[in-house]
Amino acid sequence: MNDTAKLVYGAVLGVLYIAAGLLQMVRAVVGPIPGLEAFYLTGNLFGGFVLLVVGAVFLAGVRNLAAGAGEGAIFVSVGVLLSVAFGLVELLALCALGIDAYLVGEWVEWSVADAMNPLLYLAVLGAAGYLAWGRTFLRGLSAA
Amino acid sequence: MDGVCPLALLAAGTEAKVADVRAGKGMQARLFGMGFCPDARVKVQCADRGSIIVSVGDARYALSKGIAMKIIVGCAKGAA
Amino acid sequence: MKREIRIALTGNPNVGKTTLFNALTGSRQHVGNWPGVTVEKKTGKASRNGFEFEVVDLPGTYSLTAYTADEVVARDFILEERPDIVVQVVDATNLERNLYLTTQLAELGVPVVIALNMADMAEAQGNPIDYRKLSAFLEIPVVRTVGTRGEGLKDLLDAAIREAETSLHHEHTIGYGNETETMIASLADALSADGDLAGRYPLRWLAVKLLEGDENVLAKVRGGPASTRVEEILSRIDPDEYEALMADKRYEAIAAVLPQVRKANLKEMRPSDMVDRVVTDRYLGIPIFLALMWGAFELTFTVATPFMTAIDAAFAWLAGFVAGSIEPAWLASLIGDGIIGGVGSVLIFLPNIFILFLILAILEDSGYLARAAFIMDRPLYALGLPGKSFVPMLIGFGCNVPAIMATRSIEGEKDRLLTILVNPFMSCSARLPVYILFAGVFFPDQAGSVVFFLYVLGIVVAIASAKLFRSTILPGEASPFVMEMPPYRIPTAMTALLHMWSRGSMYIRKAGTIILAGVLVVWLLASFPFGVEYGSAESFAGMIGHALEPLVAPLGFDWKVAVALIFGFIAKEIVVGSLGTLYGTGEETLPTALLADPGLSAATALALMVFVLLYTPCVAALGVIRKETGSWKWTGFSVAYGLVVAWLLAFVVGRVAGLFMGGV
Repeated sequence: MNDTAKLVYGAVLGVLYIAAGLLQMVRAVVGPIPGLEAFYLTGNLFGGFVLLVVGAVFLAGVRNLAAGAGEGAIFVSVGVLLSVAFGLVELLALCALGIDAYLVGEWVEWSVADAMNPLLYLAVLGAAGYLAWGRTFLRGLSAA
Repeated sequence: MDGVCPLALLAAGTEAKVADVRAGKGMQARLFGMGFCPDARVKVQCADRGSIIVSVGDARYALSKGIAMKIIVGCAKGAA
Repeated sequence: MKREIRIALTGNPNVGKTTLFNALTGSRQHVGNWPGVTVEKKTGKASRNGFEFEVVDLPGTYSLTAYTADEVVARDFILEERPDIVVQVVDATNLERNLYLTTQLAELGVPVVIALNMADMAEAQGNPIDYRKLSAFLEIPVVRTVGTRGEGLKDLLDAAIREAETSLHHEHTIGYGNETETMIASLADALSADGDLAGRYPLRWLAVKLLEGDENVLAKVRGGPASTRVEEILSRIDPDEYEALMADKRYEAIAAVLPQVRKANLKEMRPSDMVDRVVTDRYLGIPIFLALMWGAFELTFTVATPFMTAIDAAFAWLAGFVAGSIEPAWLASLIGDGIIGGVGSVLIFLPNIFILFLILAILEDSGYLARAAFIMDRPLYALGLPGKSFVPMLIGFGCNVPAIMATRSIEGEKDRLLTILVNPFMSCSARLPVYILFAGVFFPDQAGSVVFFLYVLGIVVAIASAKLFRSTILPGEASPFVMEMPPYRIPTAMTALLHMWSRGSMYIRKAGTIILAGVLVVWLLASFPFGVEYGSAESFAGMIGHALEPLVAPLGFDWKVAVALIFGFIAKEIVVGSLGTLYGTGEETLPTALLADPGLSAATALALMVFVLLYTPCVAALGVIRKETGSWKWTGFSVAYGLVVAWLLAFVVGRVAGLFMGGV
């Protein structure tokens, strides 16, 4: 993947993460935002903060790439790793909550929607970047 | 050597040669053991208000400003 | 015929020495302390071809000067105990600096074998090392090893056997240049007058150390027959200058060898350097760190839930089984209420602790925590704490016992003491059950925020205490931060799990010993004198509580709470179990009983949580504080300071909360 593609990719993810983060912050402070139920905002203030941080890393990469600075692509790569890492965190949390619901016998009432949140579904986009070049990046990183 | 300055003042990405280590006895020996001895080539990888991550050979060290001020480097060619 | 060979493992920090040690000795090891210092001493056994090896793992050092406790331990062992073979573990990806130590070992004239470790990493970087050539140049056997996969261990032991069997050992010396050599020669000549010294140490080494201004060696010479002449020679020179000169010569000698054994392959900028720019970024560094910490705690608390549910169910079943099948009733009560209930209420937090330690191990092994310590150094330094105090503080959220042990990586004595003293304010997971119970009962809608507030309060008190101690009892500044940034690595499951286990097992041991004893005492005090109702005001527990009630009455606590707090001294988890006992309800119906108690308001509950957060470290933590500080005075201080701070803050929080919520 060349730098232009990374720039576009980073810009899209950066904007999405920042938007989700801001909305989640608003949701946490003000309360549910009507019409946005489909985005599974959780009202978790810290979750919102994490979304903003990941978004900021992507956008810092975009800014550096646009300015032609060498390490711009690295910011986007780190953003991808963060996106996937937090996606995994949320996925594990989701599994744990599901298993727990099963153990205490509330399996019937439990649904994946209970644990759904932006960190989880935005990580699907992050995973795409990971598959495209993140893996090679990670391997190169630990070898050197 | 003309133009010497403390390591702490270098910007990220700058390379330099160690000119002198002006730390106390114990710290000096330790820095020598880590590779910061006169004539060693160092490169500042990250710099944040005097705290730096610097590479010496294949090793990377984080130094706080206090220590980085005690390592005096001659500014290599190109740099001021 | 069986022969014993004593091996000392030495090397720079972070070269995989401990991994290699574990691979060599397996489970046949013993961990203790070096006499007089808090440096861990690990010894282990291995065998090969009829030879028995005793392997001693020396602390990692960059050189063999004698300025830090680690260096003194390493040097004294090699010099005084004279192991048969010194194995230097060398990081193949960082040859130049590692060989500096080799030059010093060679001067000591001890038989050295080099374990060229992490050889696979060097090869993966396209920078393989011709270890046969290296061996020929150094005249030291060099064995290629990969500690993480156990490669090269047999070769290493074989080389050690060969070296131990041969009597031919070269003295490998570095030429320091005419002027220095003349000085060395005259010093060596002067030293030869001291027969005792000359018999024990190589003269050249003594002379070199004296030129470097080594106090330790000078002390050995002083008072001896060579003293006057040596001091006379030394008075004419500036040791600082010689030290720099000789370090330079050593590196020069290394630089001459390096191009012969590997291709020069210093990349301009490695990917890991670029990642460092991102994670230590001036603006993004700390937010990234906070986000990762949030992820760590999210995982700790959610992923642990099903495990906790399962453990809870298992203990409930066990308690029920005991109650139904054991005669007489008092024995059933002892085993069921006392042991199973008490130990169960502690073990239920095992998943929390293990998951937190696993995540910290992964972050540490990946190399990230070293970067985090670097970015946290600036804010911590401003508060008077060294940057390295940061990892122990994080571990403190799991359990203060391994956290206080982890302060060993801090060099300055004062810095270390300070970190130990403030560590108990980091809210360990043992305190969580108390918060969960009271926040859940009295603040059902804001339970999460209340718990969060307590964690933050703990951090604030730790910081404020550090500031206070710095300006009173431990004056001075935090020592400057020097830390090697290890290369990023993808942690292997095995090493991360081992790392987790070494810290988490301390908690299990605590549950098995101190806490078991503690709950037995609780049960006894609640059951006697003979004939009283279990946990009633007439029991010994009740009497103690009533005696202490005046002390805690200003905080709004009654005798039951006083008893629970006393027992919480054994382990803070016990507070909940004791209240269950004292309210005579068991833990399931305890929330209802607490709500029904007119003496407990929301404000009092908050004050109680603050008190539990801050008051004296538990017995296990105190044991470690005593061991690590080596002083009863500081241990006592820790108890007293914690109690005073807890009382004052609980009082203030209770009153302020009372103003808003009514009723204290």
